[in-house]
Amino acid sequence: MRKRILQVTGLDKSFGGLHATRNLNFELFEGDLNAIIGPNGAGKSTFFNLLTGYHRPDSGTVLFDGVDITNRPPHQITRIGISRAFQVSNIFPKMTVFENVRSAVQAQMGMAFNVFGNAAKIGNDRTAHLLSLCGLGEKSPNIAGALSQGDKKKLELTLALAGNPKLLLLDEPTAGMSLKETRETMGLVDRLNEKHNITILFTEHDLSVVFNHARNITLLHHGEIIIQGAPDQVRSNETAQNIYFGEHY
Amino acid sequence: MPVETKPVALSNETEKNSCIAALHARAGLSGPVIAALGLFSLVVPLLPGEFPTIVGVEILILSLFAGSFNLIYGYMGQMSFGQGAFFGLGAYATALLCRWYQAGSTDIGYMQFFLALLLAIPVSALGALVVGFFLVRLTGIYFSILSMAFGELLFYIVFSWYSFTGGDDGIQGIYPPALLRDPHYYYYFTLAIVAVATFLLWRISRSPFGYTLRMLRDNQRRTAFVGVNIRWAMLLNFVLAGTFAGVAGALWGPFQRSVSPTLLGWMQSGSPVFMTLIGGADFFAGPFVGALIYTVLNAYVTRFTVFWPLTIGTIILIIVLFFPGGILSIIDGRLSRNRGSRDS
Repeated sequence: MRKRILQVTGLDKSFGGLHATRNLNFELFEGDLNAIIGPNGAGKSTFFNLLTGYHRPDSGTVLFDGVDITNRPPHQITRIGISRAFQVSNIFPKMTVFENVRSAVQAQMGMAFNVFGNAAKIGNDRTAHLLSLCGLGEKSPNIAGALSQGDKKKLELTLALAGNPKLLLLDEPTAGMSLKETRETMGLVDRLNEKHNITILFTEHDLSVVFNHARNITLLHHGEIIIQGAPDQVRSNETAQNIYFGEHY
Repeated sequence: MPVETKPVALSNETEKNSCIAALHARAGLSGPVIAALGLFSLVVPLLPGEFPTIVGVEILILSLFAGSFNLIYGYMGQMSFGQGAFFGLGAYATALLCRWYQAGSTDIGYMQFFLALLLAIPVSALGALVVGFFLVRLTGIYFSILSMAFGELLFYIVFSWYSFTGGDDGIQGIYPPALLRDPHYYYYFTLAIVAVATFLLWRISRSPFGYTLRMLRDNQRRTAFVGVNIRWAMLLNFVLAGTFAGVAGALWGPFQRSVSPTLLGWMQSGSPVFMTLIGGADFFAGPFVGALIYTVLNAYVTRFTVFWPLTIGTIILIIVLFFPGGILSIIDGRLSRNRGSRDS
């Protein structure tokens, strides 16, 4: 019996008159590699924002690993074990790639407030390991702001991994990437899931990526779950085809 | 859907330039510059006449003041227009305790004098804690405006509280102990304290917390999402910066033999901003170089002309328009051109 790692119950959030999510029930088990899809404005990003404390839900609860994290702020949720990579890359542009990741590693080690240590000597091994894992080893001395779009997304993923997460949320991890970079990144996502035992939930517009990598897919529309199931099930569902796939196929 | 704030799209050229500037900040120019300034500062009292030594004490104190300001500006990326408040709080804490010890005379013991200086630390830290509690909820222009508002608020409290602070008369007749009344001795005394404080600032800038500040400067949201409580981090930094400013202020009163409410005012808060912009905010040594240039110019220009504000205004205008990275970025740019490592 696999352990349930995330349980979302009755999650509601509206902005003014707009229901971004409506009575959302959702769960993830340890080791899952699942995807959330849906047209623009379906509520995917809002759902991630609610899970990570960036927005507060109007009602509903989020249980992570048995802990109620419903109204916790982002930094606490990150420390508990949910890391997040953003759709638009969110990096530290004036620092080097290495410093980006090292600072995040030091934060994960609980050293963000350490005023006496020498930053250059703390967490270097783990930083180097993470960078080579994500294929950024050679870019270490580069200034992050000058990286290509694809490399910025990789760095974004590396920063999320620095938090040593049990659950990784990826918001369109391959947006803006070349075909080669997409393949590399999704290969890495698979490895993280299988070898490093990280539970992963991602959103993606590229449906070939979704169907090739996700084991379970949730289709969201107007903040509601339309269908949830294995790739084949979702692909052959008529409602799903009308709402979403029609635009793409 | 919520409107997510996206980073401002920079043109490629601007982005590249700001990246190059950041690269230079790390190129290690600050170490040699601070060492050179330190060596030079040892021999200033040997220069003929008392005037260079007196200007020297002011440079030392204002260097520390500007250095404290740059924790907030250069490292954390927020512009404070209220740093003078903590300089002034430190100055008043020391001055009031000195006056109490002197009890109408001009005599004060060494121990008592040191205690009076030490008092500036908790007083300015507490002041920064209270102001910071409100300030760290804001960023950008709102942070700046509110910092200025708090500075003015503290200025008016000191300005109007006659029974305690002496109001707009200030406090006259604060004396250091016998030996330190000689500017040369006071100079070395100040140098020792400023050297220790500068060493601490240097360590902070290189510490994991120093990098937390850089994260805050570059991207607040990401900083929260790597697990940092950004409000607490900003508050700690604001208190540290306020405390260093308070120590600088503590040294000011006994040297000038008086304090006045203007030490807390917006003119006072503006000087570390000017100094840091002149020297270069991306460099640890920037505020120190800026304090040297600003104070020397102030001391010597005012001998020839009453148009000091016009002079410094022109200089700031030139720096901001043509050398926005400050003096050190010009030097650094030349050095890396000679090394051929500039990749533009």
